[in-house]
Amino acid sequence: MNEFQERKINLTWREPKRSYDVVIVGGGGHGLAAAYYLATRHGITNVAVLERNYIGSGNSGRNTTIIRANYGIPESVKFYQRSVDLYQSLEAETDRWIMHKQKGLINVAHNEAGLRTERARAAVNAAFGSKTDFITPAEVKKLCPQIDLSGGGEYPVLGASYHHSGSTARHDRVVWAYAEGAMQRGVDVHQRISVTGMLKDGDKVTGVQTTAGPISAKVVMSAVGGQVTQLADMAGVRLPIRSHPLQAFVTNHYSLSFEPILASPALLFYVSQTARGEMLMGAEIDRQPSYSYGTGHHLLQTTSYRAITLLPFLRDLRILRQWTGVCDMSPDYSPIMGFTGVEGFIITSGWGTWGFKGIPASGEQMAELIATGKTPELIAPFALDRFARDRTMADRGSAGTH
Amino acid sequence: MNIIVNTMPVAFEAGDSVLVALQRAGLHPNRGGCLCAAGDCPHCLATVNGVAYVRTCQTLAQPGMIVESFPTDDYPHLPTNTQRGPTVSARNLHCDVVVIGMGESGQVAAAAATAAGKSVITLDDKVGQEVVGIYPELMVVARTSAGMLHIHAHDEVVVATGAAEIQPVAPGNHLRGIVTPRAAAHLAAKGVALGRVVVVESGDAVDLSASPTLNIIAHLKGQVLQFEGLDTLQAVVVLDENGHSQRIECDTAVVWLGLTPRDLLVRMAAGLKVRAVGDAAREADLPPCPDAGMVCSCSNVSAADLQRVWDQGFHEMELVKRATLVGTGPCQGVVCVPHMRSFLATRTAAADSSANPDIARLSKVQAPFTARPVVRQLTLGEVAAGAHHHATPRTGLDAEHRRLGAVMDRIGGWWRPWHYGNPLAEYWAVREAVSIGDVSTLGKIIVSGPDALAFLERLYPTKVSSIAVGRSRYVLILDERGYVMDDGLICKDSDTRYTLTFTSGGSSHAEMWLRDWAEGWNMDVRILNQTMSLGAINVTGPLATQLLQRAGLTQPYKFMQHGHASIADVPCRVYRLSFTGEVSYELHHPVDQSAKLWRTLMTLGADLGIRPHGLQTLLQLRLEKGHVIVGQDTDFDSTPRRIGMEWALRMDKADFLGKPAIERTNKTVLDKQLVGFEMPAPAPFEGANIMHEGEYVGYVTSSTYSPVLGKVVMLGWLKLVNGTLPSEVMIDGRPARRVDVPFYDKEGARAKA
Amino acid sequence: MPKLNYLPFTRIVATPAALDVTIWPTEALALRTAADEVLLLSSAPPTLVDPHAIVVPDSGFVGAWLPAEAVQAIFEQHCEWALPATRSVFVQGAVAGIAAKLWLEAERGLLIVPAAYGHDFAERTGLA
Repeated sequence: MNEFQERKINLTWREPKRSYDVVIVGGGGHGLAAAYYLATRHGITNVAVLERNYIGSGNSGRNTTIIRANYGIPESVKFYQRSVDLYQSLEAETDRWIMHKQKGLINVAHNEAGLRTERARAAVNAAFGSKTDFITPAEVKKLCPQIDLSGGGEYPVLGASYHHSGSTARHDRVVWAYAEGAMQRGVDVHQRISVTGMLKDGDKVTGVQTTAGPISAKVVMSAVGGQVTQLADMAGVRLPIRSHPLQAFVTNHYSLSFEPILASPALLFYVSQTARGEMLMGAEIDRQPSYSYGTGHHLLQTTSYRAITLLPFLRDLRILRQWTGVCDMSPDYSPIMGFTGVEGFIITSGWGTWGFKGIPASGEQMAELIATGKTPELIAPFALDRFARDRTMADRGSAGTH
Repeated sequence: MNIIVNTMPVAFEAGDSVLVALQRAGLHPNRGGCLCAAGDCPHCLATVNGVAYVRTCQTLAQPGMIVESFPTDDYPHLPTNTQRGPTVSARNLHCDVVVIGMGESGQVAAAAATAAGKSVITLDDKVGQEVVGIYPELMVVARTSAGMLHIHAHDEVVVATGAAEIQPVAPGNHLRGIVTPRAAAHLAAKGVALGRVVVVESGDAVDLSASPTLNIIAHLKGQVLQFEGLDTLQAVVVLDENGHSQRIECDTAVVWLGLTPRDLLVRMAAGLKVRAVGDAAREADLPPCPDAGMVCSCSNVSAADLQRVWDQGFHEMELVKRATLVGTGPCQGVVCVPHMRSFLATRTAAADSSANPDIARLSKVQAPFTARPVVRQLTLGEVAAGAHHHATPRTGLDAEHRRLGAVMDRIGGWWRPWHYGNPLAEYWAVREAVSIGDVSTLGKIIVSGPDALAFLERLYPTKVSSIAVGRSRYVLILDERGYVMDDGLICKDSDTRYTLTFTSGGSSHAEMWLRDWAEGWNMDVRILNQTMSLGAINVTGPLATQLLQRAGLTQPYKFMQHGHASIADVPCRVYRLSFTGEVSYELHHPVDQSAKLWRTLMTLGADLGIRPHGLQTLLQLRLEKGHVIVGQDTDFDSTPRRIGMEWALRMDKADFLGKPAIERTNKTVLDKQLVGFEMPAPAPFEGANIMHEGEYVGYVTSSTYSPVLGKVVMLGWLKLVNGTLPSEVMIDGRPARRVDVPFYDKEGARAKA
Repeated sequence: MPKLNYLPFTRIVATPAALDVTIWPTEALALRTAADEVLLLSSAPPTLVDPHAIVVPDSGFVGAWLPAEAVQAIFEQHCEWALPATRSVFVQGAVAGIAAKLWLEAERGLLIVPAAYGHDFAERTGLA
């Protein structure tokens, strides 16, 4: 038995009922977290989570497990800092080991524009309660001795921002902790049930049509990743979202000796070492929209090349596996949370490359929205109607990154 | 000939794999476990020449090769090499059909394809061609001793990789001395002494008569209940076909449990034209349900672990994998998946599915989980072979800048000079004398045709029809949502021809933008992008006109006038304008003559105090003038109203791109604006927070100390507080004042002089 | 290996129909880079039927004539797409990660890249 195996969790599966107060479509981190917070914070347990595959089978189980709040605009810093805080206490709250580890996140800059971005990041983070410092190359070297500060002569490290609360956690365990916590309190989670349509009363959504028959609900929440535009379409909501593949890969297992999370926005890659000793690397998003989970060679090739440029020790590490997630990108690269304009249908979507880090705060806030019928202040800026109201969440420094 | 194993020399014979050399010496590459000698299992992995996780059975021994076993209590250490770059080269090959595996079925497939007139490339791991993965657009990536192969197949890929032998799961299966029948035959043929051999098989499949050197003391049909020994096998306990259990002392156990197809390459290539043939296409045998023993030695997962997570509610193959990490190691599940499937099928059949709706919706025998590249692990140095990262373009003056000692930086997608060692001197040269700067990176596009005017009128928010031939106008460029996308000039060459300029950062997108709208609106225009064909030098400063007269400028140019002239014997398109705030001429010229033009100007201007200026100085000069840099001062949501440039719009025009959106957003309450600030030195950093009465109200986008004004000037985003813009704020912890722009030469007298 | 040199092209943008019917000067090398664009190596100017055509000298490209085997070798190492079998032929696409154009005759080929990428292209392909 290895030390990382699941020991405590007990999942309880029940028969689907014909009617619930709340039906959540999508049994990934976001859907299960919302169910968990509905049950634990608001005592709402007549809830079903419908998952077409197995829980955590979408992007919840395909991401690079990074938790951070070092965004470039106040609204995002505040929101993700809430997530950082919830993640920090999740193990204590659920008594389940999510392998949470604070590592510190270094964003290195290789040119003047990069320096400007990282300085600005540190400043706005500090103003909104997230600890990020602007640091010198020498400080980078101290935090990450393996780095080649000359960047092979091509991409010298001129400075960096250091986000103290940059962390990782095991993605599956986050999904299961929320699933189990919700199930224990009476929430039903159903695997291998697909939503095929919406039950409607006029424009109002009154439930879902599924492969296991119709299920009515007072509120239907979409927590779907990947094909969310199709689902929203069934409800009569048009979402400004395009889906892009994002690739990542891990090496074999090596002795633990790479401490931080290191990212180079200019070289479009980031790297950390997992608790099991794998070096985990993520690449840029694929500019070509697609729902495909197929994996390409080109990004593996160029990401490897770039990674070696900054971290030469990676050269002789063997790659174990590569995979692809699908990122739902909104026009302003920020998530969309809340009411949709269609009664009975709400969404948490547009999670781009930030879905994992947003899980706790999104779940908590969406649960509050469902329970109170009002949009909580923390997520009000992320409402769908912001595009029509000319209140987009412009965050140039965070576009397309991990 | 020796290889060096854990610092000790070990002899080998020509043609030996590292594994064979080790076995010949009575050694095991690692702790133990069943050996397949066929590249399927993880039990012969070791560190070879500094690369960990090398399959020693697939690696030819070479003199002096350094082989290290993994640490017993840890994973291999991270290497410390400091060399960069790909370790091997890559070749691209093209053919109709790739056949992987040249056993019988591979040969048949290759022959059939050849007979059908197809070009065929065959790959065989027997000759050191290891296939790593099959990727979209049908590219097969293989590792060979001569480097990486990227093979592009036009028709199909045939996978003829055969089948792997299923390895035993029973207590003690981690010991040394357990082999598959093929491994036994292979090792025997290589002269490896295996001692007393017991063969245990599930059927009648094993025939080792071709290996007469094997000392087979027992050959039984049945199932191994236990492998006994400390590190090395001493005995096997077998449940024979009659249901009797017997214990036999031995040195080697040969165990056969059937075959599982080597189909990872097929399973990772869903949707691609990839076909398995022969044993690679066979049904997988299911071994008995594992009750005890190691199921996955890569991740250290036992049969008991599978049972525990099943009881916890993890019933699906993928979830069991994730809950135990079974199958996530170097062998990609080849060893464990048959046992997992057997385990899950047995438990599913035994479960009361009416009591558990989750199990009821499962298939009785679950398919193996999705395979992911890479099947043969390769290093980052190997996968990087043939990689070409993004190339950053260089202007025709790149070598000139480097010769002058410029600090070069990637800015706006180009290599550009940041400064030449003395930014302050560069600054004063512009303000007081004359200076030249490389602006070759500006986008330059010609639009010609009967619809040229109509097209630009619809595209741009300015009144294009009021621009006279030979005149230029500054324009904001908007997207259809009314946000500022870029800025530049419209220069009228004739009634049917215009030259447009764009910023360096915007130029890469500009041509497609123009073409998309021209096509969408069905405009009869021709579009030619000259961005990379024309160099451009900005001659700026109070003495700029004087310098250009020396260089051949015969007629004076008015502000925003343009025309053709021969400057320093270089045919130039001359644009009088100003970004620095001083008299400025942009000289657009053939890019092959940039260096000639530059050097002549430097020579002719020597007594005028000429110096080249870099981007750092240019950004400082334009900031004194309050000019916005799109992309630095603006963001995705910058409307003309928000950046205070509504003067650049002609809302009385019938239509222009973004006009409906602007009409709509103008009705919303203004929330923030880009405005100017000033304060005493030193200059805050760009990105500094702007605070008002303890609240965050925005941030600085551009900041510099102005030598000519003796104070700091800045642009920044400022939120409206109770409907108004605060005029006193704190920046970087010090008081600053909001002021109107420009900061310097408000009337623009110097630029128009 | 030969060095990359500036190529004295004339660049022509005109309606596709006009380019289709243009008779190029003999001995000229006319490379149809797009439906509406031609790169012309010629001492004599062409006659075009499109009065709005843009015809400008263009020194924005560098290139080198290489033996066919050298072209083949560069492609094998630096290019994921295959050379067509026909000769003479004009093709365009990424070579060594850079947008390149190739005029390929039976015995030799003219490899062309934007001058702005000449440095990197030469470094990557060994044409320095």
